[in-house]
Amino acid sequence: MPGRLNAAFIIAGMVFLAGCSSLGVKPWQRDVMARAEMQLDSDAVDAAIDDHLYFSKEASSGGRSFAGGGCGCN
Amino acid sequence: MLKFILVAMGLGLFAPTWAAAPLDLGTLRGRVVYLDFWASWCAPCRQSFPWMQTLMTTYAAQGLTIVAVNLDTDRADADKFLRQFKPTFDVRFDPAGELAASYNVKSMPSSVLIDRHGVTRFTHMGFRPVDGALYESQLRELLAEK
Amino acid sequence: MAASCALLSAGAARSQDARAVSADSGVLDDWSINSALAYYHEDGRIHAIEPIVDVAKVFANGQSISANFVYDALAGASPNGALPSRIPQTFGSPSSKGAQTAYVTAPGQLPVDPNYHDDRIAVGANWTIPLARTDQLSVGAKLSDEHDFFSISANASIAHDFNDKNTTVSVGINNEYDRLHPIGGAPIPGADIAFGGGPGTGIGIQVGGKTSLETKNGVGLLLGVTQVMNRYWLSEFNVSVDRFHGYLNDPYKITSVIDGGGGTTEYIYESRPRERTRRSAYWENRVTWNPQVSTALSLRYMSDDWGVRSETAQLHLRRQLSNRERYIEPTIRWYNQSAADFYTPFILDTTVLPTYQASDSRLAAFHALTYGLKFAQTFPGVGDRKESELSIRVEYYQQTLVERAAVPVSLQGLDLFPGVKAVLVQIGWRF
Repeated sequence: MPGRLNAAFIIAGMVFLAGCSSLGVKPWQRDVMARAEMQLDSDAVDAAIDDHLYFSKEASSGGRSFAGGGCGCN
Repeated sequence: MLKFILVAMGLGLFAPTWAAAPLDLGTLRGRVVYLDFWASWCAPCRQSFPWMQTLMTTYAAQGLTIVAVNLDTDRADADKFLRQFKPTFDVRFDPAGELAASYNVKSMPSSVLIDRHGVTRFTHMGFRPVDGALYESQLRELLAEK
Repeated sequence: MAASCALLSAGAARSQDARAVSADSGVLDDWSINSALAYYHEDGRIHAIEPIVDVAKVFANGQSISANFVYDALAGASPNGALPSRIPQTFGSPSSKGAQTAYVTAPGQLPVDPNYHDDRIAVGANWTIPLARTDQLSVGAKLSDEHDFFSISANASIAHDFNDKNTTVSVGINNEYDRLHPIGGAPIPGADIAFGGGPGTGIGIQVGGKTSLETKNGVGLLLGVTQVMNRYWLSEFNVSVDRFHGYLNDPYKITSVIDGGGGTTEYIYESRPRERTRRSAYWENRVTWNPQVSTALSLRYMSDDWGVRSETAQLHLRRQLSNRERYIEPTIRWYNQSAADFYTPFILDTTVLPTYQASDSRLAAFHALTYGLKFAQTFPGVGDRKESELSIRVEYYQQTLVERAAVPVSLQGLDLFPGVKAVLVQIGWRF
């Protein structure tokens, strides 16, 4: 299972990178990207509170950033 | 005089460097031009604008002309920004980004320093307040030239 | 060449009444503060209050720092892992301060330690340093302290932009070190709890077999790619692996050993493996559909060598109102996990005691749904005062366990697999 997962990661990563060169916008076309709702960390405090809740109630954590949680709740 | 220059630029004497030739600044020849590319959504532009305003008041008499080219697609966004910062330098609008493309703008803001002979001498990508001193020394260098 | 110049509209926007603005004023130079107060209430169990403050500053040289402070006060009842029984069950309460306090669980009820309480203080800091126009280094550290737990971690990551900053590749490493010093000691995994009242009486008193201090250690690696797909679509793809080793047990969780008739003959402490490796893939897409509507969809797949596999899907939809002065954001999250290989709600006394076992419902097979709604109001900046945002957020979280084990006839009808129902209310203030 881990081997299959590794292969999936590598393939997904390669497809992603291969598509990159033909994607994107000019530097002056980032008006929408500059909006608050398009920032990946737009609601960092909300996400921190949610992550803490899910870390203490579920077996999975991380993904968006590092796993672990620095709390004794799991 | 300045008013005449600005009108002349608006009429199209302001030529991009698409042919890799030195920028023909027409009647702006003889002045040092700080050409800035900006947008209302660009966060460092909120720092470069007050800085450019200070440059303008300090060096206009020595021959500096600042032209700030706005790249917002929606003019209303640019106007809101201008109402906040109230620049006294020249502002132009390039909503389709054609001038930005011709200058190969890589970062927001980007600026180009053009000497009295219309030759592009320095290009700047991005703006941090610490960069201001370097840009200003480059400007003084060009102003000192005849 | 005149054609492209014509793009420049002839009317130059100018203003004569310029006010002097010093070069070092401006939004970026100020501290930005993001704070929230959250109240969490779990149906019939714990409740918690959590204030959190994030401060951040960008310096003139492009470097930035951020720091956060979290305080967490928990109190209430926490399941101890034992199975409901037809007779009253008595337990020592290891998680209460000082000497053991006994508590009794009524027949048919899920055993919970009613004296559970905890205070946690956590601080973190992060420093981001631009190395070049397209490279950035970030280092950070976190500290977290509870009366029975201490954690310290450090992380570093490096990001590189290319393709006109439309693509960012980053790689990061995190190292975490935890110390556990549970009240009454850390039980040896799988150790018995002796019956003070003799077998069959249901009175369990903890005896011996404990260490005063245990540790665990974790290392995580994360590789991420962020791509601007077009003007309205941003995509992020991360893969990560983390490996923890050491004392991975919950020191307060026990497992019931029952006979064929459903009577509890013994309680033993849970026993988890001393190593765990998790792998995850995470994909997030942020799309602006029109000036008013944007969505953030994230998908996560995770698997670990304990046999847990999970899938998570979360969707935020933000609808701007009144010319972006306020917005409303409904959220839905779906989560599904399989059980750890060693998860067991109870152990039959006729079977050989397994090396690894845990009845902790967090290692069981379940699915969970979260529904949320957020409302935010923006207040425009006045003079030197920056724009600020006030928000309120409500979330409902429900966990539904998937039953797996065959239950002895005598215990049928009891709610052996209760889920979790919780509500979160949060007020946020950003300025």
